[in-house]
Amino acid sequence: MAELIRLENISKSFGDNLVLDELNLTVNENEFVTLLGPSGCGKTTTLRIIGGFEKPDVGQVFFEGNDITALPPNQRHLNTVFQNYALFPHMNVGENIAFGLKVSGKSDQYIKDKVKYALNLVNLKGFEKRLITELSGGQQQRIAMARAIVNEPRVLLLDEPLGALDLKLRQEMQYELVRLKKELGITFIYVTHDQEEALTMSDKVVVMNNGYIQQEGTPEQIYNEPENAFVADFIGDSNIVSGRMVRDNVVEIKGTEFPCIDGAKDGFMPGQPVDVVIRPEDIEIRPYGEGLFNGEIVSKIFIGVHYEMLVKGEPSGFEWLLQNYDEHSVGSKIGMYVRPENIQIMKKPEYDDEKAMELDI
Amino acid sequence: MTIANRRWSIPFLVWIAIGTIIPLLSIVYYGLTSRTGGLTFQNITAILEHDNLQALGLSLGLSVLSTLICLIIAFPMAMILANSKYGKQGFLIFVFILPMWMNFLLRTMAWQVLLERNGVINALLTTFGLPRQELMNTPGAVVLGMVYDFLPFMILPIYNAVVKIDKHLVEAARDLGAGKLKVYTKVVLPLTVPGIVSGITMVFIPALTTFAISNMLGGGKINLIGNIIEQEFTVNTNWYLGSGMSLVMMVFIIASMLLLNKFDKTGGASLL
Amino acid sequence: MKKTISYIYVGLVMLFLYLPIFALIVLSFNEAKSMSVWTGFSLQWYQELFHNRLLMSAVGNTFSIAILASLIATIIGTTAVIGLSAMRPKSQNVVLGFNNIPMLNADIVTGISLMLFFLLLHIPQGYGTILFAHVTFSIPYVVLSVRPRMNRKTDRLYEAAMDLGASKRYAFRKIVIPELMPGILSGFLLSFTMSVDDFIITYFTRGAGINTISTIIYSQVKVGIRPSLFALSTLIFVIAFVALLVVNFKSNKEEEVA
Repeated sequence: MAELIRLENISKSFGDNLVLDELNLTVNENEFVTLLGPSGCGKTTTLRIIGGFEKPDVGQVFFEGNDITALPPNQRHLNTVFQNYALFPHMNVGENIAFGLKVSGKSDQYIKDKVKYALNLVNLKGFEKRLITELSGGQQQRIAMARAIVNEPRVLLLDEPLGALDLKLRQEMQYELVRLKKELGITFIYVTHDQEEALTMSDKVVVMNNGYIQQEGTPEQIYNEPENAFVADFIGDSNIVSGRMVRDNVVEIKGTEFPCIDGAKDGFMPGQPVDVVIRPEDIEIRPYGEGLFNGEIVSKIFIGVHYEMLVKGEPSGFEWLLQNYDEHSVGSKIGMYVRPENIQIMKKPEYDDEKAMELDI
Repeated sequence: MTIANRRWSIPFLVWIAIGTIIPLLSIVYYGLTSRTGGLTFQNITAILEHDNLQALGLSLGLSVLSTLICLIIAFPMAMILANSKYGKQGFLIFVFILPMWMNFLLRTMAWQVLLERNGVINALLTTFGLPRQELMNTPGAVVLGMVYDFLPFMILPIYNAVVKIDKHLVEAARDLGAGKLKVYTKVVLPLTVPGIVSGITMVFIPALTTFAISNMLGGGKINLIGNIIEQEFTVNTNWYLGSGMSLVMMVFIIASMLLLNKFDKTGGASLL
Repeated sequence: MKKTISYIYVGLVMLFLYLPIFALIVLSFNEAKSMSVWTGFSLQWYQELFHNRLLMSAVGNTFSIAILASLIATIIGTTAVIGLSAMRPKSQNVVLGFNNIPMLNADIVTGISLMLFFLLLHIPQGYGTILFAHVTFSIPYVVLSVRPRMNRKTDRLYEAAMDLGASKRYAFRKIVIPELMPGILSGFLLSFTMSVDDFIITYFTRGAGINTISTIIYSQVKVGIRPSLFALSTLIFVIAFVALLVVNFKSNKEEEVA
């Protein structure tokens, strides 16, 4: 895939607040890239720099290898779907969608056809004359999409486009967005704080925190192989514990030695303190004494498909989070086992720019 | 992205400087200058002269009194308006805004017509065989005029504050065991304090500084600080003294604003 | 019971507010000049009113000043808000503090301060000085009505227009101005009514020989009330009533749409 957009060494502050710190990011042609992170992590600012609404203090933005850092938004080949949509309230649906085409001086017939096509594409046939105030949130969202894509942008920027919708609609729209992306064959850069959205739709997820990129990768990589405690904690539920490498392929956690698949080849030396992530669904329940370690179930809730349990480990007293399809009663003693490949070992943060990876929860 | 440049506000900044700041500074300049030129405090200390002091005292007295009367009439009125179904549709509010759209001089004149020696009220009194009353040219008439002219300015801010109160707050207070009286004193009243404060400002300051009402309903016998200042400017053309008196008056205006602000910030706790 | 008491209360307050006005209206149709005896229906005071050249020129002054002043104030106030949005919040607060001065200040202080300013600069007082004064006290109202419209949403709409390829000028004209328009209109109307209604500031900034409705009422009342003033009151009351009805009706409709 060819490189389409490249951010080089971007830094940006608002007043004393450093929002982006020497950020580097590449987006390839026809990719669905999601910038994921908590509020204030810099994801929206990154998007706004790509869109041309903010100028970086330092660094450059390249589009197909050309420096577009100084280019105003109206001269960039990309369009934005704004958070809360930013539909023009004094124009009807048709006029909103036609806005960009009119500005670029297209013929009336072309505009008319294109508006019709776009409304068809977002399943809102015949909505041309409706007022913006008459539309539901979901419909407004679709119109905002239509208004952006009629201009045939090379890249579509989406700033939390589903944030204002309810859960059901949000899930529907996720499928819709993926479908649109396929039909249009263009690049999507998507900003969200919702990890589920990010994992479902993206080709590439970029996890951000405190102005730094924490990890870039496919949804599977991000979920299964978080590179640090922040990513592990932000994506899905997890048990994050301190541990110590004993030797290659063995890590010691809370007094128990676990077989794992990391060692010196990954840069983990014997005796080195590490962070260990174990997903709650990866802790298997065995009869007492037959696992790697034992514990007592202290609480249990049913959350739809499975049960979620807190288990007090022996002898450390550390409370592990478990998910299991089978019901076990509170108070019962169980054994627990974790497959070596499900133990994710990470370096503890040491450098300045890794501080951001620490959990500030 | 900012829509426009800061330069857009230059005409405004220039106008504020020329139309507001320099004129206010000229009051200070004249107030501290003697008729023959040179710095003096005589224009300020002149407030201690008997006539001036009396005018200031009377101004303060009458304006405090009319503010209080307005507050007493307006508070229940605002409560009723906020709770009535007509109030929400704007009909009753309409009724209270309408008089504000009529020139206050004409409204004041209306009371002159009612209170005159040969006016409507005395005509009614004589019809019933009662003796004529000297109603005009009394402090009472001036207070009446002030209350009449400024009452809507007290009702509306309080009404706006009451309407804004989230009904769930009242329900929550009831739910937590507060009686009706407690709900009023502990929840409703504190939340209307901003409205009360701006109502008081909007009544007290014009009442304190008026010269027209006292002239029309006081017939030249009721001299307020506003009348003193007006006469210095229009009749005696002693702008120096007029400015000095204005400075004294401004001290009272600013002091009253500071005092009121204090109530507003403490969330009204000190009012109870 | 509680309801009855509150109805009586509302009734009494309304009586207090409207009785004097209705007395004026009734007396404006009275044949006699008396303020207490009804002698018969007549429109002669209306005739006198319309033949009063002094008053008619005052009406002209009042409205021409009001229109000009609110136009100028609307332009300056609106550009001020647009420029303010590009300032840092701290500077914005300082500027808005100054903006509030004429609103918080007593009218008499604003009036004499402007009068002194004109005297200091030897500017002869007349139509121009009244206009200047009215623009001065109207600007803050425009700023306060337009500013709430100049918000994050307006920023986003402007960005959206730019994003769709519009030039700065086009986005400003087609998106920002329509977005500010309700605030601009209400600022204009507010300025207009404040200007028409003003007496105190006009009183100090006008020169000899020029009058507005307010100043002429004041000078005539001081000389002696003539029933033609009752006719004037009636007319103003009716105009205010109709104008307010229209405004009220319109805003009610807008609420329904929104």
